[in-house]
Amino acid sequence: MTEFAENAKATAPVVECRGVQRIYQQDSVPVYALRGADLTIHAGEFVSLAGPSGSGKSTLLNVIGGLDAFDAGSVSVGGVDLAALTPAQLAQTRLHNVGFVFQAYNLIPVLSARENVEFILQLQGVASQERRSRAEQALHSLGLAELGDRRPGELSGGQQQRVAIARAIVTEPVLLLADEPTANLDSKTTSELLAVLRDLNQQQGMTIVTATHDPIVMEYTSRQVTMLDGEIRQDGGVAA
Amino acid sequence: MIRLAWRNLQRNKARTWLTAGGIGFAVLLVSFAMSLQSGSYEIMIDSATRYFTGHGQVSTDAYIKQPRFARTIANAESLQAALEAIDGLTVFPRVQAFGVVSKGEKSLGGMILGVDFAAERQQLDVYNNVIAGQIPAALDQALIGAAMARNIGAALGDEIVVLGSGKQGSVAAAVFIVAGIVETGQVELDRSLIFAPFASVADAFYLADEAHMLVLMLNDLSRLDEIVAKVEAQLPEPLGVQTWQQLMPLIEQSIELDKAGGYLFFSLLLILVTFAVVNTFVMVLFERTREFGLFMALGMRPWQVIGQVQFEALLLSLLGVLLGLGLAYPLLAYLTSVGIPLDQVGGEEVSRQMQMGSMSRIYPKATWPSMTTAPLVLIVGTQLAALISTVRVQGIRPVSALRAE
Repeated sequence: MTEFAENAKATAPVVECRGVQRIYQQDSVPVYALRGADLTIHAGEFVSLAGPSGSGKSTLLNVIGGLDAFDAGSVSVGGVDLAALTPAQLAQTRLHNVGFVFQAYNLIPVLSARENVEFILQLQGVASQERRSRAEQALHSLGLAELGDRRPGELSGGQQQRVAIARAIVTEPVLLLADEPTANLDSKTTSELLAVLRDLNQQQGMTIVTATHDPIVMEYTSRQVTMLDGEIRQDGGVAA
Repeated sequence: MIRLAWRNLQRNKARTWLTAGGIGFAVLLVSFAMSLQSGSYEIMIDSATRYFTGHGQVSTDAYIKQPRFARTIANAESLQAALEAIDGLTVFPRVQAFGVVSKGEKSLGGMILGVDFAAERQQLDVYNNVIAGQIPAALDQALIGAAMARNIGAALGDEIVVLGSGKQGSVAAAVFIVAGIVETGQVELDRSLIFAPFASVADAFYLADEAHMLVLMLNDLSRLDEIVAKVEAQLPEPLGVQTWQQLMPLIEQSIELDKAGGYLFFSLLLILVTFAVVNTFVMVLFERTREFGLFMALGMRPWQVIGQVQFEALLLSLLGVLLGLGLAYPLLAYLTSVGIPLDQVGGEEVSRQMQMGSMSRIYPKATWPSMTTAPLVLIVGTQLAALISTVRVQGIRPVSALRAE
């Protein structure tokens, strides 16, 4: 177990954001995507970040995942201050400790479902045989055992998103971040996928944070955080 | 990674095959042209050296610096025998004297060359240009240049008198019967040259077991350096060897000039192909920005993404190189065995310009440089072309890239 994972298990919270600001320059005009967001997430929580488009939920998710930088405040994930990490260390953190699920699936089109899942293990340097075994296990746990040889183009949207989840969880990350994972799915598939995420949270204790504007998603999560104009307005029914 | 690279090449098959085809065509063209050059140079050198000069000549160092009659090789016969023991080497002696050649009342200055007709006629092409009579078979016979024969009014069977200065300054005199008339095509030689038996000329000019030069002829010119080294090892002071490059510097200079022109053309072609590859990889970067963003979001470092694309470029260039060599090898194998008839590519004019003597066909010669230059340059060029494009990956921000369409 990595130092990061040990910290995450031993000391809650998994995520701690304090006064996080993210400012973009648009035609030399500063645009505040995050205006001092404070958020603490403990191990084993399943959190939804809700809010309208432009509310800053995806930005906050990207900042927590180390995909985006922040301009002020502090972000600590698994007890590690992200501001103190070099780009290479951030990449290692993403590779080993954070799983990502994107709205547009973002599978590699030329690889089969199993190869997509194996890909991230290959980046970690896992041996070929173990890669295959773990990828098949991940696909099996998401009900995709029979579809491992199919390429993304041969799978439905729901199946592709499950493959993306399999890819995100195969590394056994401390934190799973999902950005609008159901935005491209119909309601039936959305429910099936959310049930998968809930099972991962409840049965494996995986900490999950998902950005969404879909009310159905919030029904499955254990904590709902609402954002507006780059600020957290409500946290678990309590106004922030 | 190999699998991913190979499958990425198959994403846009038409573009992959067009780019690989361009690389392959350049490999085919450059390999073929360089092989043709090599073949033509070999023929040019062989033709020039086999005409009269030989592949090399042994003389005294003083004679090499300034040819004077007295500067002879001593013990020429035993040295010739020693050198002929070297595998793949034929040696024949020559003496070279100057004097007055007369027939009746007409006289001209001439160069009298004492040669071993039996040995030389088997090796040198100049004897194929006897236009009348035959090559001398007796010690009192001579072969004279066509212009000299005309100028002194000598015909076959006529007696000519040679008067010169012997080694010790005494008068050298010899009488020969014209056995044949030769037309070398070089006016100066045809006007002044007399070929006579080595023993007769040496005797007339008072040389005892001496020669001015020992001409070296190799069975295989590619062994020149090796054989010259062996020859030099056997030479006593003050003898030295001149190779064909020193004896006929113009031939080597014209080859170098031609090579330089060829390299310029090949370089332009390879640069053009490389630019086409740059275009391919600019498109790849444009089309796959989102995918590269994903790679980095998952934890790949920019240099790993660049490495992945560089590997794709390597596969693409190898595909093109295999395609080009796959076409070049059989084509060259066929043409190396049958040759390209010169009359189909310009005939006598080409032959004359390329100094190929009586050669009627040109045979390409696939050499290590001719078959590896284009592949290596294109593999490296493709890597550079890809790098020019993919170095921009370093500037990609995963968040922005993942939003790219």
